[in-house]
Amino acid sequence: MNGTRHGTTEELLALRDGEGGAWAKAHVGSCAVCAAELYRLEQVRARLRALPTFSPPRDRWAVVAERARVERRSGWWSRGVGLVAAASLAGLLLVAVQGTRPDPLQAQVRLRSAMARSEAMEQALRGLDPDGRALDGTAAGVVADLQGRLEALDAKLGDPAEWRAAPHRQAEMWNERAGLLSALVDVHTTRVAYVGL
Amino acid sequence: MADTIPLAEAHSLVARARAGDSGALEHLYRAYEGSVYTLARRLTRTPEDAEDVLQETFLEICRSLSRWRGEGSLWGWVRQIAASKALMRYRREKLRATEVLDDDLAERAGDDVPLRLDLEAALRRLPERTRTVVWLHDVEGMTHEEIAEQMGMTTSFSKSQLARAHQKLRGWLGEEGADR
Repeated sequence: MNGTRHGTTEELLALRDGEGGAWAKAHVGSCAVCAAELYRLEQVRARLRALPTFSPPRDRWAVVAERARVERRSGWWSRGVGLVAAASLAGLLLVAVQGTRPDPLQAQVRLRSAMARSEAMEQALRGLDPDGRALDGTAAGVVADLQGRLEALDAKLGDPAEWRAAPHRQAEMWNERAGLLSALVDVHTTRVAYVGL
Repeated sequence: MADTIPLAEAHSLVARARAGDSGALEHLYRAYEGSVYTLARRLTRTPEDAEDVLQETFLEICRSLSRWRGEGSLWGWVRQIAASKALMRYRREKLRATEVLDDDLAERAGDDVPLRLDLEAALRRLPERTRTVVWLHDVEGMTHEEIAEQMGMTTSFSKSQLARAHQKLRGWLGEEGADR
Protein backbone atom coordinates (compact mmCIF):
# COMPACT_ATOMS: atom_id res chain seq x y z
CA MET A 1 0.00 0.00 0.00
CA ASN A 2 1.29 3.47 -0.89
CA GLY A 3 0.99 5.75 2.15
CA THR A 4 -0.28 5.14 5.64
CA ARG A 5 -4.03 5.50 5.06
CA HIS A 6 -6.78 4.70 2.56
CA GLY A 7 -8.28 7.38 0.38
CA THR A 8 -11.42 9.06 1.72
CA THR A 9 -14.71 8.70 -0.15
CA GLU A 10 -14.40 12.34 -1.21
CA GLU A 11 -10.89 11.77 -2.59
CA LEU A 12 -11.97 8.64 -4.46
CA LEU A 13 -15.04 10.39 -5.87
CA ALA A 14 -12.81 13.20 -7.13
CA LEU A 15 -10.60 10.58 -8.74
CA ARG A 16 -13.64 8.92 -10.31
CA ASP A 17 -14.67 12.31 -11.72
CA GLY A 18 -11.20 12.88 -13.19
CA GLU A 19 -10.20 15.46 -10.63
CA GLY A 20 -8.20 13.47 -8.13
CA GLY A 21 -4.95 14.69 -6.64
CA ALA A 22 -1.52 13.16 -7.26
CA TRP A 23 -1.49 11.35 -3.93
CA ALA A 24 -4.85 9.65 -4.55
CA LYS A 25 -3.86 8.59 -8.05
CA ALA A 26 -0.62 7.07 -6.87
CA HIS A 27 -2.29 5.45 -3.88
CA VAL A 28 -5.06 3.75 -5.86
CA GLY A 29 -2.45 2.35 -8.21
CA SER A 30 -0.92 0.37 -5.39
CA CYS A 31 -3.81 -0.20 -2.94
CA ALA A 32 -6.23 -2.99 -3.87
CA VAL A 33 -8.80 -1.87 -1.28
CA CYS A 34 -9.05 1.69 -2.64
CA ALA A 35 -8.95 0.45 -6.24
CA ALA A 36 -11.91 -1.79 -5.46
CA GLU A 37 -13.75 1.07 -3.76
CA LEU A 38 -13.11 3.32 -6.76
CA TYR A 39 -14.52 0.63 -9.03
CA ARG A 40 -17.56 0.28 -6.75
CA LEU A 41 -18.18 4.05 -6.91
CA GLU A 42 -18.01 3.92 -10.70
CA GLN A 43 -20.48 1.02 -10.70
CA VAL A 44 -22.93 2.85 -8.44
CA ARG A 45 -22.86 5.84 -10.78
CA ALA A 46 -23.47 3.56 -13.77
CA ARG A 47 -26.36 1.88 -11.98
CA LEU A 48 -27.86 5.25 -11.02
CA ARG A 49 -27.75 6.32 -14.65
CA ALA A 50 -29.43 3.08 -15.65
CA LEU A 51 -32.40 3.55 -13.31
CA PRO A 52 -35.69 3.66 -15.18
CA THR A 53 -37.10 6.93 -16.40
CA PHE A 54 -40.60 8.09 -15.51
CA SER A 55 -43.43 9.22 -17.72
CA PRO A 56 -45.90 11.85 -16.54
CA PRO A 57 -49.18 10.16 -15.59
CA ARG A 58 -51.20 12.85 -17.35
CA ASP A 59 -50.59 14.99 -20.40
CA ARG A 60 -50.03 18.49 -19.05
CA TRP A 61 -49.40 20.18 -22.39
CA ALA A 62 -52.94 21.54 -22.74
CA VAL A 63 -52.73 23.15 -19.30
CA VAL A 64 -49.28 24.61 -19.97
CA ALA A 65 -50.31 25.92 -23.39
CA GLU A 66 -53.48 27.52 -22.04
CA ARG A 67 -51.71 29.20 -19.13
CA ALA A 68 -48.92 30.44 -21.39
CA ARG A 69 -51.53 31.81 -23.78
CA VAL A 70 -53.32 33.66 -20.97
CA GLU A 71 -50.03 35.12 -19.75
CA ARG A 72 -49.09 36.24 -23.26
CA ARG A 73 -52.49 37.80 -23.73
CA SER A 74 -52.36 39.70 -20.45
CA GLY A 75 -48.98 41.04 -21.53
CA TRP A 76 -50.44 42.16 -24.83
CA TRP A 77 -53.44 43.85 -23.21
CA SER A 78 -51.18 45.55 -20.67
CA ARG A 79 -49.21 47.04 -23.52
CA GLY A 80 -52.47 48.12 -25.15
CA VAL A 81 -53.64 49.89 -22.00
CA GLY A 82 -50.21 51.50 -21.73
CA LEU A 83 -50.57 52.87 -25.23
CA VAL A 84 -53.95 54.41 -24.52
CA ALA A 85 -52.29 56.21 -21.62
CA ALA A 86 -49.36 57.15 -23.84
CA ALA A 87 -51.76 58.55 -26.43
CA SER A 88 -53.48 60.70 -23.81
CA LEU A 89 -50.13 61.90 -22.55
CA ALA A 90 -49.04 62.66 -26.10
CA GLY A 91 -52.14 64.80 -26.61
CA LEU A 92 -51.47 66.71 -23.40
CA LEU A 93 -47.83 67.23 -24.22
CA LEU A 94 -48.71 68.45 -27.70
CA VAL A 95 -50.88 71.12 -26.14
CA ALA A 96 -47.91 72.09 -23.99
CA VAL A 97 -45.48 72.45 -26.88
CA GLN A 98 -47.69 73.56 -29.74
CA GLY A 99 -47.23 77.22 -28.92
CA THR A 100 -43.72 76.98 -30.33
CA ARG A 101 -44.87 75.50 -33.65
CA PRO A 102 -45.43 77.68 -36.70
CA ASP A 103 -48.72 75.87 -37.57
CA PRO A 104 -50.03 74.28 -34.38
CA LEU A 105 -53.53 73.61 -35.63
CA GLN A 106 -52.33 71.66 -38.67
CA ALA A 107 -49.86 69.67 -36.54
CA GLN A 108 -52.57 68.82 -34.07
CA VAL A 109 -54.92 67.64 -36.82
CA ARG A 110 -52.21 65.41 -38.27
CA LEU A 111 -51.41 63.95 -34.91
CA ARG A 112 -55.06 63.30 -34.02
CA SER A 113 -55.60 61.65 -37.37
CA ALA A 114 -52.56 59.38 -36.97
CA MET A 115 -53.63 58.41 -33.46
CA ALA A 116 -57.15 57.65 -34.65
CA ARG A 117 -55.78 55.40 -37.40
CA SER A 118 -53.60 53.62 -34.91
CA GLU A 119 -56.52 53.11 -32.54
CA ALA A 120 -58.74 51.77 -35.34
CA MET A 121 -56.06 49.27 -36.38
CA GLU A 122 -55.57 48.21 -32.80
CA GLN A 123 -59.29 47.53 -32.43
CA ALA A 124 -59.29 45.55 -35.68
CA LEU A 125 -56.35 43.47 -34.47
CA ARG A 126 -57.98 42.88 -31.11
CA GLY A 127 -61.08 41.62 -32.92
CA LEU A 128 -58.94 38.92 -34.56
CA ASP A 129 -57.83 37.61 -31.14
CA PRO A 130 -54.15 37.37 -32.20
CA ASP A 131 -52.97 35.76 -28.96
CA GLY A 132 -55.59 33.07 -29.11
CA ARG A 133 -54.43 31.62 -32.40
CA ALA A 134 -51.60 29.32 -33.33
CA LEU A 135 -49.41 30.46 -36.22
CA ASP A 136 -47.24 28.48 -38.56
CA GLY A 137 -43.51 29.14 -38.51
CA THR A 138 -43.38 31.70 -41.34
CA ALA A 139 -46.33 33.74 -40.10
CA ALA A 140 -44.98 33.61 -36.55
CA GLY A 141 -41.66 34.99 -37.78
CA VAL A 142 -43.37 37.91 -39.54
CA VAL A 143 -45.55 38.62 -36.51
CA ALA A 144 -42.52 38.54 -34.20
CA ASP A 145 -40.70 41.04 -36.42
CA LEU A 146 -43.70 43.39 -36.58
CA GLN A 147 -44.29 43.17 -32.84
CA GLY A 148 -40.62 43.84 -32.16
CA ARG A 149 -40.76 46.99 -34.29
CA LEU A 150 -44.01 47.97 -32.62
CA GLU A 151 -42.50 47.63 -29.17
CA ALA A 152 -39.46 49.71 -30.18
CA LEU A 153 -41.75 52.40 -31.59
CA ASP A 154 -43.94 52.36 -28.48
CA ALA A 155 -40.86 52.90 -26.34
CA LYS A 156 -40.03 56.01 -28.37
CA LEU A 157 -43.60 57.30 -28.25
CA GLY A 158 -43.59 56.87 -24.49
CA ASP A 159 -40.46 58.99 -24.19
CA PRO A 160 -41.15 62.70 -24.94
CA ALA A 161 -37.41 63.27 -25.31
CA GLU A 162 -37.69 61.38 -28.60
CA TRP A 163 -40.05 63.86 -30.22
CA ARG A 164 -40.45 66.98 -28.05
CA ALA A 165 -37.95 68.94 -30.13
CA ALA A 166 -39.76 67.98 -33.36
CA PRO A 167 -43.48 67.46 -32.69
CA HIS A 168 -44.17 66.62 -36.36
CA ARG A 169 -42.03 63.52 -35.71
CA GLN A 170 -44.62 62.43 -33.18
CA ALA A 171 -47.35 62.32 -35.83
CA GLU A 172 -44.98 60.41 -38.13
CA MET A 173 -44.40 57.82 -35.43
CA TRP A 174 -48.13 57.38 -34.83
CA ASN A 175 -48.62 56.92 -38.57
CA GLU A 176 -45.83 54.38 -38.57
CA ARG A 177 -47.51 52.63 -35.67
CA ALA A 178 -50.80 52.48 -37.53
CA GLY A 179 -48.94 50.96 -40.48
CA LEU A 180 -47.35 48.25 -38.36
CA LEU A 181 -50.70 47.40 -36.79
CA SER A 182 -52.26 47.31 -40.23
CA ALA A 183 -49.57 44.82 -41.33
CA LEU A 184 -50.32 42.68 -38.28
CA VAL A 185 -54.02 42.74 -39.15
CA ASP A 186 -53.12 41.63 -42.69
CA VAL A 187 -51.04 38.71 -41.43
CA HIS A 188 -53.76 37.51 -39.08
CA THR A 189 -56.55 38.09 -41.61
CA THR A 190 -54.64 36.11 -44.26
CA ARG A 191 -54.05 33.32 -41.83
CA VAL A 192 -57.70 33.26 -40.77
CA ALA A 193 -58.79 33.09 -44.42
CA TYR A 194 -56.21 30.41 -45.17
CA VAL A 195 -57.28 28.01 -42.44
CA GLY A 196 -60.93 28.84 -43.00
CA LEU A 197 -61.66 29.93 -39.45
CA MET B 1 -28.75 12.75 -19.78
CA ALA B 2 -28.10 13.47 -23.44
CA ASP B 3 -29.89 16.28 -25.25
CA THR B 4 -32.53 14.87 -27.56
CA ILE B 5 -32.57 17.96 -29.78
CA PRO B 6 -29.47 18.83 -31.85
CA LEU B 7 -28.23 22.37 -31.26
CA ALA B 8 -29.05 23.62 -34.76
CA GLU B 9 -32.61 22.34 -34.47
CA ALA B 10 -32.85 23.82 -30.98
CA HIS B 11 -31.95 27.28 -32.33
CA SER B 12 -34.66 27.05 -34.96
CA LEU B 13 -37.27 25.70 -32.55
CA VAL B 14 -36.61 28.36 -29.94
CA ALA B 15 -36.74 31.14 -32.55
CA ARG B 16 -40.12 29.88 -33.74
CA ALA B 17 -41.39 29.43 -30.20
CA ARG B 18 -40.28 32.98 -29.30
CA ALA B 19 -42.33 34.24 -32.21
CA GLY B 20 -45.42 32.55 -30.84
CA ASP B 21 -45.40 29.36 -32.89
CA SER B 22 -47.32 27.04 -30.59
CA GLY B 23 -46.29 24.01 -32.65
CA ALA B 24 -42.64 24.72 -31.83
CA LEU B 25 -43.48 25.11 -28.16
CA GLU B 26 -45.30 21.81 -28.12
CA HIS B 27 -42.35 20.16 -29.88
CA LEU B 28 -40.08 21.41 -27.06
CA TYR B 29 -42.54 20.12 -24.49
CA ARG B 30 -42.78 16.68 -26.07
CA ALA B 31 -39.00 16.43 -26.44
CA TYR B 32 -38.29 17.18 -22.80
CA GLU B 33 -41.38 16.25 -20.76
CA GLY B 34 -40.04 12.79 -19.87
CA SER B 35 -36.60 14.05 -18.88
CA VAL B 36 -38.02 16.91 -16.83
CA TYR B 37 -40.55 14.67 -15.12
CA THR B 38 -37.89 12.05 -14.32
CA LEU B 39 -35.61 14.73 -12.87
CA ALA B 40 -38.53 16.12 -10.87
CA ARG B 41 -39.45 12.66 -9.57
CA ARG B 42 -35.89 12.17 -8.37
CA LEU B 43 -35.72 15.56 -6.70
CA THR B 44 -39.17 15.80 -5.11
CA ARG B 45 -41.12 13.65 -2.72
CA THR B 46 -44.28 12.73 -4.55
CA PRO B 47 -45.47 12.16 -8.13
CA GLU B 48 -47.87 15.08 -7.65
CA ASP B 49 -44.99 17.39 -6.73
CA ALA B 50 -43.13 16.19 -9.81
CA GLU B 51 -46.12 16.95 -12.01
CA ASP B 52 -46.29 20.47 -10.60
CA VAL B 53 -42.57 20.93 -11.24
CA LEU B 54 -43.08 19.73 -14.82
CA GLN B 55 -45.83 22.29 -15.38
CA GLU B 56 -43.99 25.15 -13.66
CA THR B 57 -40.84 24.36 -15.62
CA PHE B 58 -42.51 24.63 -18.99
CA LEU B 59 -44.40 27.77 -18.06
CA GLU B 60 -41.09 29.31 -17.06
CA ILE B 61 -39.59 28.16 -20.35
CA CYS B 62 -42.44 29.90 -22.23
CA ARG B 63 -41.75 33.09 -20.28
CA SER B 64 -37.97 32.94 -20.59
CA LEU B 65 -37.25 31.70 -24.09
CA SER B 66 -35.52 34.95 -24.94
CA ARG B 67 -33.00 34.29 -22.17
CA TRP B 68 -31.60 31.13 -23.78
CA ARG B 69 -28.47 32.39 -25.54
CA GLY B 70 -27.89 29.26 -27.54
CA GLU B 71 -24.37 28.84 -26.21
CA GLY B 72 -24.91 25.57 -24.38
CA SER B 73 -27.25 22.66 -24.92
CA LEU B 74 -30.94 23.41 -24.69
CA TRP B 75 -31.39 20.50 -22.30
CA GLY B 76 -28.78 22.03 -19.99
CA TRP B 77 -30.88 25.19 -19.82
CA VAL B 78 -34.16 23.32 -19.40
CA ARG B 79 -32.59 21.14 -16.70
CA GLN B 80 -31.39 24.20 -14.82
CA ILE B 81 -34.93 25.60 -14.77
CA ALA B 82 -36.41 22.24 -13.72
CA ALA B 83 -33.89 21.80 -10.90
CA SER B 84 -34.53 25.34 -9.78
CA LYS B 85 -38.29 24.75 -9.67
CA ALA B 86 -37.82 21.53 -7.70
CA LEU B 87 -35.49 23.26 -5.25
CA MET B 88 -37.90 26.18 -4.87
CA ARG B 89 -40.59 23.71 -3.90
CA TYR B 90 -38.22 22.12 -1.45
CA ARG B 91 -37.42 25.49 0.14
CA ARG B 92 -41.05 26.60 0.11
CA GLU B 93 -42.20 23.57 2.01
CA LYS B 94 -39.59 24.24 4.66
CA LEU B 95 -38.41 20.69 4.72
CA ARG B 96 -35.32 21.41 6.71
CA ALA B 97 -36.89 20.35 9.96
CA THR B 98 -38.32 17.24 8.38
CA GLU B 99 -35.01 16.51 6.76
CA VAL B 100 -33.27 16.38 10.12
CA LEU B 101 -35.80 13.70 11.00
CA ASP B 102 -35.04 11.92 7.72
CA ASP B 103 -31.35 12.04 8.51
CA ASP B 104 -31.94 10.57 11.94
CA LEU B 105 -34.08 7.81 10.50
CA ALA B 106 -31.52 7.08 7.84
CA GLU B 107 -28.72 6.89 10.38
CA ARG B 108 -30.73 4.37 12.40
CA ALA B 109 -30.70 1.88 9.55
CA GLY B 110 -31.22 -1.01 11.89
CA ASP B 111 -34.49 -2.50 13.13
CA ASP B 112 -36.85 -0.86 10.65
CA VAL B 113 -34.68 -1.18 7.54
CA PRO B 114 -34.06 -4.37 5.60
CA LEU B 115 -30.50 -5.59 5.72
CA ARG B 116 -30.08 -4.82 2.04
CA LEU B 117 -32.00 -2.33 -0.11
CA ASP B 118 -32.05 -2.11 -3.87
CA LEU B 119 -30.60 1.03 -5.40
CA GLU B 120 -34.01 2.59 -6.09
CA ALA B 121 -35.10 2.20 -2.47
CA ALA B 122 -31.73 3.33 -1.15
CA LEU B 123 -31.82 6.46 -3.29
CA ARG B 124 -35.33 7.27 -2.06
CA ARG B 125 -34.13 6.89 1.50
CA LEU B 126 -31.50 9.62 1.14
CA PRO B 127 -32.49 13.01 2.55
CA GLU B 128 -33.92 15.19 -0.20
CA ARG B 129 -31.03 17.65 -0.33
CA THR B 130 -28.44 14.87 -0.42
CA ARG B 131 -30.38 12.97 -3.06
CA THR B 132 -30.53 16.14 -5.15
CA VAL B 133 -26.73 16.45 -5.09
CA VAL B 134 -26.29 12.78 -6.02
CA TRP B 135 -28.73 12.97 -8.90
CA LEU B 136 -27.53 16.27 -10.33
CA HIS B 137 -23.88 15.23 -10.13
CA ASP B 138 -23.79 11.50 -10.85
CA VAL B 139 -26.68 11.24 -13.29
CA GLU B 140 -27.12 14.67 -14.83
CA GLY B 141 -23.38 15.35 -14.88
CA MET B 142 -23.53 18.78 -13.28
CA THR B 143 -20.31 20.02 -11.67
CA HIS B 144 -20.08 20.75 -7.97
CA GLU B 145 -19.75 24.44 -8.87
CA GLU B 146 -23.02 24.34 -10.83
CA ILE B 147 -24.80 22.46 -8.06
CA ALA B 148 -23.50 24.85 -5.42
CA GLU B 149 -24.74 27.82 -7.41
CA GLN B 150 -28.10 26.22 -7.98
CA MET B 151 -28.57 25.27 -4.34
CA GLY B 152 -27.05 28.42 -2.86
CA MET B 153 -24.33 26.49 -1.08
CA THR B 154 -20.55 26.02 -1.33
CA THR B 155 -18.77 23.54 -3.60
CA SER B 156 -17.21 21.87 -0.58
CA PHE B 157 -20.71 21.33 0.81
CA SER B 158 -21.77 19.71 -2.45
CA LYS B 159 -18.70 17.45 -2.41
CA SER B 160 -19.21 16.42 1.20
CA GLN B 161 -22.91 15.71 0.59
CA LEU B 162 -21.99 13.46 -2.34
CA ALA B 163 -19.40 11.58 -0.28
CA ARG B 164 -21.82 11.19 2.60
CA ALA B 165 -24.49 9.89 0.25
CA HIS B 166 -22.17 7.27 -1.22
CA GLN B 167 -21.15 6.11 2.23
CA LYS B 168 -24.81 5.64 3.14
CA LEU B 169 -25.62 3.93 -0.15
CA ARG B 170 -22.73 1.53 0.37
CA GLY B 171 -24.16 0.48 3.72
CA TRP B 172 -27.76 0.21 2.52
CA LEU B 173 -26.79 -1.72 -0.59
CA GLY B 174 -25.00 -4.29 1.54
CA GLU B 175 -21.67 -3.44 -0.03
CA GLU B 176 -19.82 -2.44 3.13
CA GLY B 177 -16.17 -3.42 2.68
CA ALA B 178 -14.85 -5.31 5.68
CA ASP B 179 -11.52 -3.57 5.76
CA ARG B 180 -12.50 0.01 5.03
